[in-house]
Amino acid sequence: MAAAQPPPALVPLQTGAQPAISAALTDATVRVSSDFRGDKIVLYGAVFDPMARPSDVVVIVRGPEEPVRIARKSKIAGVWINSRPVVFQGAPGFYIAASTRPLDEIARFAVLRKLEAGVDHLAIHAPAEQRTETRYGIRDMVVSSLGADYFDWRTAVIRLKETAGLYDTNGHGVRFVDKGLFRAEIALPAEAPIGRYDVRILLFQNGQPVSEKDRSLTVEQVGLERALYLWAHQRPWSYGLAAMAFALAAGWAASSAFRRN
Amino acid sequence: MDIYLPIAEVSVNAPLLVALGALVGFISGLFGIGGGFLMTPVLVFLGIPPAVAVASMSNHVAASSMSSVISYSRRRSVDFRMGGVLAGGGVVGAIVGVEIFRWLRLIGQADLVVALSYLIFLGVIGGLMLWESLGAILRRRRNAPAPPRKDRRPPWLYGLPLKLRFPRSRLYISVIPPILLGAFVGVLSAIMGVGGGFILVPAMIYILRMPASVVVGTSLFQIIITTALTGVLQAGRNQTVDIVLALLLLVGGVLGAQFGARASTRFRAEELRALLAFIVLMVGLRMGLGLFFTPHEPFVLMSGAGG
Repeated sequence: MAAAQPPPALVPLQTGAQPAISAALTDATVRVSSDFRGDKIVLYGAVFDPMARPSDVVVIVRGPEEPVRIARKSKIAGVWINSRPVVFQGAPGFYIAASTRPLDEIARFAVLRKLEAGVDHLAIHAPAEQRTETRYGIRDMVVSSLGADYFDWRTAVIRLKETAGLYDTNGHGVRFVDKGLFRAEIALPAEAPIGRYDVRILLFQNGQPVSEKDRSLTVEQVGLERALYLWAHQRPWSYGLAAMAFALAAGWAASSAFRRN
Repeated sequence: MDIYLPIAEVSVNAPLLVALGALVGFISGLFGIGGGFLMTPVLVFLGIPPAVAVASMSNHVAASSMSSVISYSRRRSVDFRMGGVLAGGGVVGAIVGVEIFRWLRLIGQADLVVALSYLIFLGVIGGLMLWESLGAILRRRRNAPAPPRKDRRPPWLYGLPLKLRFPRSRLYISVIPPILLGAFVGVLSAIMGVGGGFILVPAMIYILRMPASVVVGTSLFQIIITTALTGVLQAGRNQTVDIVLALLLLVGGVLGAQFGARASTRFRAEELRALLAFIVLMVGLRMGLGLFFTPHEPFVLMSGAGG
């Protein structure tokens, strides 16, 4: 999977030569078996820049996307009650942004927002709560029915995912190990969802992204875990019947075993 | 020694779960209850998604109830006919309950209803049982005579149609009260993720006036049928049964239930009731009082985005 990138010697040595980045994962598949307790994703890469301008590297790992339902508790008649749940789209199941320096030192807000770099810049929105209407004489303004609290809801999604260990920002997660050669280490918790992950490696110079590489990573169950998972999801009724029959048989067997003693 | 659960998609400590299963199984065999009201909250506390905990627990409860009901049936203390009538209601109740629970999850009020159900049902039943059994223990200590039992069965039990003879329970009553009771317990068991023995046992004693000797075995028999159905429905409709989790719990559970069923003969009935009442009351308060405290995190993520 090593990128087919020309070695630095072949890059034409001229002023304004385009800087480039290349990277590869040491293992593109994370196998989840019965002893899975999280894993470490290790990524190596190189920055090719004949001008040797100061470079920053940002690595963004995004897990499979899934809508998030979130509710807010409020006190009604002395009891804390959930509000109607709000569905947010665009939230990855796993997200980590690792970089050589804290992101806000690397690029400006608008640049980071456009690239969705950093948990605060994820494009999370609640489409079901949005409608367009005319306000202050301006047509087609997007208004959220969550009103002024919209920001609270959005940050709560990220905060709760961070608490669950699924979202993180690591301002020192990428290190240059040699001139132009960098290494990133990303911890994948046991709670990380199964599926295909996108790994985006960005080279920043002077506050702008100048080169980009995309890699993908698969987190998959193997062996018995995979067989059970597939059975439970593809043939749920036969799985349910078998699981219950097995449970009842185990109860029966234990009782018989004890009777003989 | 951690083990990864394929459906829950989390990693848990295997010996801890086996020990937990054994403890709950012991309590289950001792008191003739499923033990789900203890197991479900503990599993959620250990970080297992609530939907998976509730569903997988029904496999565990069915297994440990199966293991102990056989011991009870050998002592001829299971009224299969009464259990069958109760389970008939329970099957309808469980199907209705699973649908209610899906709807509650959809509108985001499942947590509230679950917590309130625990607080109300466990609180009231635990409180009443504790009061009654402590009274009995105190009277025995003082050698005071037992208060005259109001043994007259309520007339409505006899006035209703569709009467059926229950020889094992020495009853000749209408099937309507047991069916309604079974249905009510079935709904609760699907919503609360419990077998429902903690409601069934007192109801059989105080409402149906069944002899105490057959109550526990009969309750276990009805729990097997209701939880077996709930477990299959949960797997089929929600894909939330984790067989590895259920297996870990039932390894300890079936063994614990055997010891529990044996140990139950060594204690006085009122002491057992007092202990069970205390456990029930504590779990109810623990689950329900959280509703009244200001949460440190006002937002909550709901599982199952599809509803």
